[in-house]
Amino acid sequence: MKMKVMSKYSISILCLIFAFGLTSAQSNLEEKKPNIQQDSVVFQEKYGLRFGVDISRLARTAFESDYSGFELNADYRLSKKLYTAGELGFEEKSTSTSYLDSNAKGNYFKAGIDYNLYENWLGMENLIISGLRFGFSSFSQTRDRYTIYDTNGQTWGGIVNDDSKEFDELTAAWLELIFGIKAELLNNVFLGLNVQIKARLAEQSPSNFENLYIPGFGRTYDSSKIGTGFSYTITYLLPIYKKARIQKLREDDNEKTAVE
Amino acid sequence: MKKILFIYILISLVSCEPDDICSENTQTTPRLVIEFFDIENFEVPKTVPGLFAVGIDNQGNEVTILGEVVNSRSVIELPLNGSENQTQFKLYSNYDIVDNEVEGNPDVISIAYETESIYVSSACGYKNNFSIQGFSIEQDIDLWMISTEITISEVTNENESHVKIFH
Repeated sequence: MKMKVMSKYSISILCLIFAFGLTSAQSNLEEKKPNIQQDSVVFQEKYGLRFGVDISRLARTAFESDYSGFELNADYRLSKKLYTAGELGFEEKSTSTSYLDSNAKGNYFKAGIDYNLYENWLGMENLIISGLRFGFSSFSQTRDRYTIYDTNGQTWGGIVNDDSKEFDELTAAWLELIFGIKAELLNNVFLGLNVQIKARLAEQSPSNFENLYIPGFGRTYDSSKIGTGFSYTITYLLPIYKKARIQKLREDDNEKTAVE
Repeated sequence: MKKILFIYILISLVSCEPDDICSENTQTTPRLVIEFFDIENFEVPKTVPGLFAVGIDNQGNEVTILGEVVNSRSVIELPLNGSENQTQFKLYSNYDIVDNEVEGNPDVISIAYETESIYVSSACGYKNNFSIQGFSIEQDIDLWMISTEITISEVTNENESHVKIFH
């Protein structure tokens, strides 16, 4: 049943991506026959594959004792504003509350699109990104300790269970909205920052337990299926081809030609 | 405007974390609820005058039950020992202390049960539920309890009485 729901969602996401692809293909056609005028400037914009790592995860691995993680990210430019993008990662996180100690470990991928909201000055190629992802994680969870919650149990003393138990073959799928920036610091080198808001679509939970942390998704909340995250990325753009971007110098001339 | 709204939603989602505190309304490990009825009329609850309970551990020592006070009532809640599969309680009627001497009529009850740990939430962890396997009154020369009946063997909450004692 869960798989069914998940496949339903993934199909609709595919449709969405496909629809975006179509519209971008149309705009590509239009851009291929530019009406070059004298009073305009042409700039060659770079198209290619951009890839890199999440440095926030590297930093957290170094400085937080209960976390280790690594994430590769990449995007490929489809049109002037649209990119297909994805992430691939590994995370291990210990969660400790007053009544529970557990550890989650696993791999994840995210795939989707980035849309550049920013109208660059000519010659610059920075991005303000609004993006959409479908995420999937395959992981395991270990419950190291739990305490029986008993407000009246003080009479007999608390009960602590130290038997470590591993729950395998857990999965989760989610949709993610991304909002962030990517700035070109050096030629072809970008520094990026983004925040993510995620909605869990489906998950395989362990029996008589719960997924407290899902690699790629982050910590879970009892009260909702919403999660949050952030990334701090450093990426390199491998230019594959260039495409002209034409910028009119004066808006008035543009209107005049349109009337004529 | 949309961006501001987006950021606002994001902050409000991150800032409130009710999950970290186990709410008092959450049903966690329940106590055993015993209700006392009239031996002459099984349908009518009957108050036990000066009712007071103490626990008895494996070594036979008396254990104070937190929050337990002497009170005339027809219902009592008793915490079962989750690390054992049997708990004994000494129930007094007409409990009183006169010149440092305990007065009243103590009867000892034994409850045998199976324990199951059930996940509640990240804030509350696990709770115990009990399945009553047996309920008995230990023999003594002056019993004020006459008979018992297990009405609900699965102890999952404290909403209804699990055991009836007739006296």
